[in-house]
Amino acid sequence: MPKHISRLLILVVVFAAVAFTAKKVLTPATFYQYGHYRGAAVAEIASKVPKLQGSASCQSCHKAVYAEWSAGIHRKSTKDNVIQGLVVKNGPGCEVCHTGPAGNHPSREAMPLSLEDRVTTITHKHIAHPADVPGRNLMLAANDMSSLCLNCHEKLAARPKTQPQIEVASHSGKELCTACHNPHSPMIDFAAVPRPPYDPVTGKLVAVSAMKAGDAGAGRSVAAACASCHGNAGMSVNPVWPNLAGQHANYLVNSLEAFKSGTRRNDMMSAMAAGLSDADMRNVAAYFAKSRCGVTGGDKDKAKLGESRVAEAGCAACHSAGGIRGKGPAGISASQSWPNLAGQNAEYLAVSLRAFKDGTRSHPVMSSVAKTLSDADIDNVSAYFASVSCQ
Amino acid sequence: MTTQDEIIEAQQVPLSRRGFLELMGKSVACAGVVAGAVGAGSAIGATQSGNGKHAYQQNDQQFAEAVNDPPKIPEYNWNDHQWAMGVDTTRCIGCLRCMEACKMENSVQMDANHHRTWVERYVYLEGSDTALVDSQADPQNIAFAGSETKFRFDNRYKDKKVDKAFFVAKLCNQCEHPSCVEVCPTGATFKSKDGPVLIDTTYCIGCQYCVQACPYGARSFNESRGTAEKCNWCYHRITKGLNPACVEVCPTGSRIFGDRNDPDSPVSVFIRNNHVQVLKPEMGNAPNVFYVGLDKEVV
Repeated sequence: MPKHISRLLILVVVFAAVAFTAKKVLTPATFYQYGHYRGAAVAEIASKVPKLQGSASCQSCHKAVYAEWSAGIHRKSTKDNVIQGLVVKNGPGCEVCHTGPAGNHPSREAMPLSLEDRVTTITHKHIAHPADVPGRNLMLAANDMSSLCLNCHEKLAARPKTQPQIEVASHSGKELCTACHNPHSPMIDFAAVPRPPYDPVTGKLVAVSAMKAGDAGAGRSVAAACASCHGNAGMSVNPVWPNLAGQHANYLVNSLEAFKSGTRRNDMMSAMAAGLSDADMRNVAAYFAKSRCGVTGGDKDKAKLGESRVAEAGCAACHSAGGIRGKGPAGISASQSWPNLAGQNAEYLAVSLRAFKDGTRSHPVMSSVAKTLSDADIDNVSAYFASVSCQ
Repeated sequence: MTTQDEIIEAQQVPLSRRGFLELMGKSVACAGVVAGAVGAGSAIGATQSGNGKHAYQQNDQQFAEAVNDPPKIPEYNWNDHQWAMGVDTTRCIGCLRCMEACKMENSVQMDANHHRTWVERYVYLEGSDTALVDSQADPQNIAFAGSETKFRFDNRYKDKKVDKAFFVAKLCNQCEHPSCVEVCPTGATFKSKDGPVLIDTTYCIGCQYCVQACPYGARSFNESRGTAEKCNWCYHRITKGLNPACVEVCPTGSRIFGDRNDPDSPVSVFIRNNHVQVLKPEMGNAPNVFYVGLDKEVV
């Protein structure tokens, strides 16, 4: 045989020997076990730890909220909602809105992150996936909540008609959803909550933020009647009665309307509000909103305890302009419809919280929040907010 | 004797051109017979299997192994289950919570173009017989969502006259005859006995042939891992009695999951009580995701 042929044949034989040996050595034992793949891979894939835990896992620590959610429309209280023989899965669970698997939820760390704190993994391989970031607290800030609600409830042409949907401009304008809706139990019981005003001409609901601003000058004369309790400049003569100076105008109008309609009960205020027209209410609210706010102060020790309780309870989600995570001042609310708490009389705050707690006063969100506060907590947080600067 | 033969004799060439061609013809014919015999033999062997259904590209011996020596998954035997999924497009509201939950559960890259499951929106404007299609990966929708890590459909049809519109959620169909398994050169992707088509990421070389092959576009490439990626029905969850993440979070019950071996499971009830369809039946993949409400424009 010519040399070049024999060399070629030798090369082929050597290559074949190497190839077969390598295949025998390098192929894992479980390859070809169940098919053309590594059989051990199946168990490996199945052994990954699940991250989403399901809503029931939140119940053990968040009993009150879980109970609220269970009873509310977001859970659909009829468990066996059978359509065409199929048990319909219920509405959004905890992990839908408090986005992110509960599997990473720390026990009691307060390092709240909003949806904005997600980290992308597009270009940076070393950055952990957001689902793996430890210490995530899943609480939402007020401004997050509205965009989240609209994710499901904004009117889109492609959504089935069975889905409750709203057109933002005509429903709420710039108002936050949680001004009226408790996110855990969003159906509104209108008997308990002040109803937003109607435009008498069109009969349509007027979003609170679309209301005309009042005339502070005209309001001054109306406010003369308020001075005997609420002081000349809106600073109360009695700590049980609220300071009105520097308070959000919309909140004052809402309150007056609630007193007038009876959804909020106070013998004195109901009588006072009965005599006010809509224009009067807007004007006097504008007057007080423009007045200089003051800080009444509270017990220092209680205020210190209150500060940490407030951080735990997440009051800043609504009652701080920056939300939980933001750098906004404490006690200055994110929405014009929610009251500023900064510098408010501690006794009045305590009375209000107790009223929310025992049900004499009702609000979609505050009622459930107050129930999580003990009596001592109420005194402490009231003292805290009373001492916070109102500027 | 031809002139050629004379030349050959004179030059002592061992094989003439004619002789060579004859030899080739005989070799091809023999090889063909052998190949045919082998092929027929294996085909017969395959159909003469015993009980049960072979997974795709699984021979008898491997099937026996799968039955008698299943993978060691705690409290789970893959012989007991045949998983399937249902999607009811009449309920989908396009909220994209499924996509988000999947990303969280499976550590998928966060931006809108990487996904194991996604949602498409089909809109027929008045007077049009074809649909306008967009998904969450549409740049306008990404801009509307506000950040790379949020997903939202925008409101671009707010001022238009819309005749008909709906959402369709899509994911890997875990086909009976998966194109992706067919083409994988390394055996990294495979059909498991209980239904899902899985990826062994230690074996994937990232050639992306499977990404090309899938007729549904369900497979993608994960740059950070360098491997192919697709929905596996959260295999690590279903083997523990949980639902896949997308099914768990869907707020309207648009996704249904279950075991077809159990006639009372949600998916069995769903298939029995509805007229169901699959995507692209003409491809021959025999998908295992069953749809209600597929419109003619949906591909």
